[in-house]
Amino acid sequence: MVMLSIKNLHAEAAGKPGKPILRGLSLEVEAGEVCALMGPNGSGKSTLGKVLVGHPAYEVTGGEVLFEGKNLFDLEPDARARAGIFMGFQHPIEVPGVSNAAFLRLAYNKKAEAEGRDELDPLEFDDFIHEKIKLVAMKEEFLDRSLNEGFSGGEKKRNEILQMAVLEPKLAILDELDSGLDIDALRVLGDAVNKLQRPDRALLIITHFPRILETIQPQYVHVLSGGRILKSAGKELAIELEERGYDWVLEEAAAGGVR
Amino acid sequence: MTLALTSSFIADLLAGPRPSEWGDLRKAAEARLAGRDLPTSSDEDWKYTNLKALGNLAFSPAPRAAVDISGHLLPEMVGTRQVFVNGHHAPHASCASAVPAGVRFLPLSIASEACHSLGSLENGAEQGVFEDLNTARFEDGAVLLVPKNMKVALPLHLLFITKADTPLAVFPRVLMVLERGAELELVEEHYGTGTYLSCPVVEVRVGEGAVLRHERVQRDSDEAFHFGTLRAEVAKGGQYHSRTLSFGARLSRQQPWVRLAEGAEVSLDGLALLDDHQVADTHSFLLHAEPHATSHQLHKCIVDGQARAIFNGQIRVAPHAQGTDARQQSRNLLLSESARMDTKPQLEIYADDVKCSHGATVGQLDPEELFYLQSRGLNADDARNLLTYGFAGDVLNRIPVASLRRALRQLVMARTQADSLGDLS
Repeated sequence: MVMLSIKNLHAEAAGKPGKPILRGLSLEVEAGEVCALMGPNGSGKSTLGKVLVGHPAYEVTGGEVLFEGKNLFDLEPDARARAGIFMGFQHPIEVPGVSNAAFLRLAYNKKAEAEGRDELDPLEFDDFIHEKIKLVAMKEEFLDRSLNEGFSGGEKKRNEILQMAVLEPKLAILDELDSGLDIDALRVLGDAVNKLQRPDRALLIITHFPRILETIQPQYVHVLSGGRILKSAGKELAIELEERGYDWVLEEAAAGGVR
Repeated sequence: MTLALTSSFIADLLAGPRPSEWGDLRKAAEARLAGRDLPTSSDEDWKYTNLKALGNLAFSPAPRAAVDISGHLLPEMVGTRQVFVNGHHAPHASCASAVPAGVRFLPLSIASEACHSLGSLENGAEQGVFEDLNTARFEDGAVLLVPKNMKVALPLHLLFITKADTPLAVFPRVLMVLERGAELELVEEHYGTGTYLSCPVVEVRVGEGAVLRHERVQRDSDEAFHFGTLRAEVAKGGQYHSRTLSFGARLSRQQPWVRLAEGAEVSLDGLALLDDHQVADTHSFLLHAEPHATSHQLHKCIVDGQARAIFNGQIRVAPHAQGTDARQQSRNLLLSESARMDTKPQLEIYADDVKCSHGATVGQLDPEELFYLQSRGLNADDARNLLTYGFAGDVLNRIPVASLRRALRQLVMARTQADSLGDLS
């Protein structure tokens, strides 16, 4: 079943008209799929992720995105989150004064409320979250600290995957999960993401480097450049990109008439 | 015309009889007041804080009154409190049975012999009008003496309550002396009902190597005027950590003045949460008089409605105060178009081997932070309220007394409409 359907999507930075970043991007993602979005810097892969979750820095100028058959752009960012879309950010924001645990509980309960499930009180949530932090090997003290405040790059990424585990999204977009992570942390978080993968969940892994795809193995690899998808193939494409870089894909596309 | 009005304002406050104790101190204050008016905006120190509304009111001396304090008791502080109502000691509301032997925690009126140092911290610094008014007319106050090396485990609680059926003037007075190596935590609270003028003066002496943690909570009525003076001297290697939290009063001004001796450590934090037409002004003065002392100052204001906040943070590093480490941050959040903030660091550095830094920010909520919370399913209002709460929570979370921390968090959650978000601790 198609979960996410992107058709001829155009977008630019808000307030900077005439400089399109996404230029007619089309993509379909089915439930249960793990897709990798790869491409050189500036190809538009992070922009695609942010456009999907409604980041105000970008403006959609054309095209259509359907999530479970409904127009995604009818929904505010918070409604998209409650509908089941999650993005793990490359640079998560620090929020001083709000404890991580309180924030996680609040986010959980907002989603539970939207889905008509029971909300958890602080004690119940305490039990719940202690199971979840094991998955990402997070130290307990990070629950009591302010949300992401003073966290290292790796700790922030750990916290993003913890949020994913708490919110149980239908579609998870993970932007440059590997940046700022050492090899051990990358393995832990990669394993956590694999454990979280389910037949009714889709994963979109945005990455510049193929390394992370050794742990989180995609069924499909899509290569972006200039704001659209130039090439799509199976996971063997990631290996080829590791060996040969991106240039040959761009050249091949140019030869085939795609500019 | 203005001159005549304002000078009569001060003269009216001094019209009543002069209390008999501390006669010389009071006469000196009256002499200084004789030629003075209420400050006006042409006075550089009062440029942003207009006292016209104060000058238009007349305040009478405050009579004794009874109040119910049950809603203001803190469980950590059973048997360690002194309560003053309308400037008079309230023996039935006070209870100091759990104060350890050796510590003197008494009303000034019955401990006068111990207070020979009262007023002596004024030496070397110019007294303000409201400080002098206090000295001239205070009825009573608290004296707190902690002997050498005594570490007091229980926090002490000082409550100043004003009940004003007609406009009243109150002059709370506090003298705290921690001898060498003593340690103490004190919570000082001000609240009340009706229209009143409160001019507290708090004098603090922290002895060599002594440690004082001082939480100050201003929850005066919406119609109140509050002019607070704090004078603290921190001796060699002593520590003084104070946090002033301003929620109430139509107009409030805090003037902390702190002198640091060699190797002293001071933190002077502040939070003001303002709405409607409230005005809150902080004019602080930190004097690094000797080498190797450290001061950290974090001042935060959340300003909504047509409120305005003022921060003027003066730090002076004396010529021989080498190795000084002074850091000041003024961070301010404006929540409405008509809210206003004036912030000004004022560093005077006369030594050359020092680390001094200051920073000031005035702004709205960060759109990136708002979006981050929205991307986790919080609607725009909830995200805004949570961030506003967090801005204040950052200061509140450091309050060591758990019940006070909880109570103030709840107060701030209600004021920032974050209470619908549930328990955020």
